[in-house]
Amino acid sequence: MVSETLIFLGQVLIFPGFLFIILLAFFAEWAVRKITGRIQNRLGPTYTGYMGILQPIADFIKLLRKEDITPTMADKIFFLIFPIMYFSLPLTAFSLIPMTEVQALTYFEGDLILLTFIFTIITAMVFLGGFSSGNIFSIVGGTRSATQLLGYEIPLVFTLLCPAIPAGSFSLTTIVEWQQNNSWIIWTQPLGFGIILTCMLAELELTPFDAPEAETEIVAGSITEFSGVKLALIRLGKNIKLVLASSLISALYLGGPEQLWILPPIMIFLIKVFVVLFLMVSLRAIFARFRIDQILAGMWKYLIPLAVTQFLLTKILWGW
Amino acid sequence: MGMGLMSGSMIKVVIGPQHPALKEPERFIIEVEGEQVVQVTPRIGYVHRGIEKAMENRTYIQNLYLAERICGICSHAHTTCYVQAVEDLLSVEAPPRAKYIRTVIAELERIHSHLLWLGILAHEVGFDTFFMYVWRDREVIMDLLEEISGNRVNYAMNTIGGVRRDLDQEKISKILKGLEVIEEKAKKYIQMIQKEPTILKRTVGVGYLSSIDAVRYNAVGPLARASGVKRDVRKDDPYIAYDDISFNIVTRDEGDCFSRMMIRAEEILESINIVREALSKLPVGDISVKTRLVIPPSETVSRVEAPRGELIHYARSNGTDKPERYKIRAPTLANLKALCKMLTGIYLADVPVILAGIDPCFSCMDRMQIIDCEKKEKQSWTLDDLRRYAREWYQKH
Repeated sequence: MVSETLIFLGQVLIFPGFLFIILLAFFAEWAVRKITGRIQNRLGPTYTGYMGILQPIADFIKLLRKEDITPTMADKIFFLIFPIMYFSLPLTAFSLIPMTEVQALTYFEGDLILLTFIFTIITAMVFLGGFSSGNIFSIVGGTRSATQLLGYEIPLVFTLLCPAIPAGSFSLTTIVEWQQNNSWIIWTQPLGFGIILTCMLAELELTPFDAPEAETEIVAGSITEFSGVKLALIRLGKNIKLVLASSLISALYLGGPEQLWILPPIMIFLIKVFVVLFLMVSLRAIFARFRIDQILAGMWKYLIPLAVTQFLLTKILWGW
Repeated sequence: MGMGLMSGSMIKVVIGPQHPALKEPERFIIEVEGEQVVQVTPRIGYVHRGIEKAMENRTYIQNLYLAERICGICSHAHTTCYVQAVEDLLSVEAPPRAKYIRTVIAELERIHSHLLWLGILAHEVGFDTFFMYVWRDREVIMDLLEEISGNRVNYAMNTIGGVRRDLDQEKISKILKGLEVIEEKAKKYIQMIQKEPTILKRTVGVGYLSSIDAVRYNAVGPLARASGVKRDVRKDDPYIAYDDISFNIVTRDEGDCFSRMMIRAEEILESINIVREALSKLPVGDISVKTRLVIPPSETVSRVEAPRGELIHYARSNGTDKPERYKIRAPTLANLKALCKMLTGIYLADVPVILAGIDPCFSCMDRMQIIDCEKKEKQSWTLDDLRRYAREWYQKH
């Protein structure tokens, strides 16, 4: 009994839990910076560690040592809560995603709904965080985040739930199981894959949907006023969110972790995650930024009808 | 003061003096309702360096160095304008070879300035990949300029009565080779600008300035030409070697940010042709003439088409080796009023694009001049006026 608890604790805290995910997030940031750099004909990080692989960790430690400033106009309590929530929410969500085996760390009927909820809460946090810091750029950035949510949330929820129809369950674990017994969802719902990729770009506030943190207009959007430990946590949270989004897509659409030849499931899963990550980063590098009104118009005109079409198609194909 | 002030649904967004969209300190108080800009108030003068006064305290030779440093990007335009003014006061003329070399440098400078601007605009619309590529290719021109003059930024090529360095055959062939690279890239960029949907989304119809407004608000340079006003000092009042060289003034009728982008990209191609023609026609002879250092009382105005538009220098001599009065009107100052006009009624997200669209160069513009955009008034202040104003202002606030 005691050893079982210990193993569970180890799973939560070390592998595939918090420590592993945080390291993965650092690695993902390095990969993003390196890929973006190569696409833009730059070198990317080169200095710290082999090919600059330790650069994100070095940045994190540097930020931890910096002065932590709370502006006088800020809402003190929420200004403190926002970074913690922004960091811990995606980290919590990871326990619902199957990584090492078909079963996730915790799973129950309807955990997909909880994941959807967490994604929305994160954006709501960004909005409130922007307002709490009292800076005009933060307020505009937060408002833009919330406005953008109105555009991408509906197609995102549709495409998150579409894979649940053939599997007949709202549990991510069941969906992954179903995919391994049948086929990857991407083969039957390629449209949904495209839509969820676009929506995740918006959720992660990557170009072309990075209006909420458009550097040249509103500095850093809602995180403009944060510094020191808080900024370090927010940046880490952002990276975790990036990995979370790619993990979710690979679990929902690319079959999740599966044993292939002698490669363990976690390896296969990580390869899938980084393929999705690579796709998102490449998309980010080849576009200019849309204006917020253009984002909303585009989402409502094209993405929502497409998502509804995908939903109806799946419904018709797999029966009521 | 960096904070915005909220009253009702109106939010005052203060852009600058420090803001990532502005590479130089300048302040724009933008009143927005939601995302829409209602009113813009510019506040200039953050980088006033007292250059005009400093020039009046130095000799004509020393002023060469000062003129070079008015602007970091169009340093050659300023010195050309300066030496032109001084040569006019002295009634000497630079030898033809010097004039041609000045033309070559001026056009190379225009190419690198326009490339720089293309990159910045790409960055403003969030297209960082394009920005990186353009700036990478700009290095070709920077290397050429370093090859010719020994410097990447302040070339120090001009001197009163000619230029300081000659072009030999080896340098000429290097320039021609570099131009080929840039020509190919510029054509590719023009294609990209015309086809990339996200660039089009952010620039077409943004920051519209009609040709009537362009004339009314005194727009100069690419900004005016993008609104269909055929205004170019190189053709209107040819200086250095532009008389002998055939080239077209590129104009477009759209009057938006897209046409400003296209104008600059096409002007790069035009400049490449000018450099080629100038190099092929390069006359033989001296590169400078000896001049006196004391100038009899006289006054003159000199005009140059800088990369950003018409640049005006005014000089008055009084029989000593120092100018009695020196006045500089940089193109950005002329474009500022048109900018305020363009900014009103647009989306906040478009502000940086339009701001960058005039290719602002604030530090070469700033002098003690107050412009009231609403009342269309313009007045110059002395230091005493400024002190009085400051005292009164602080008593009130």
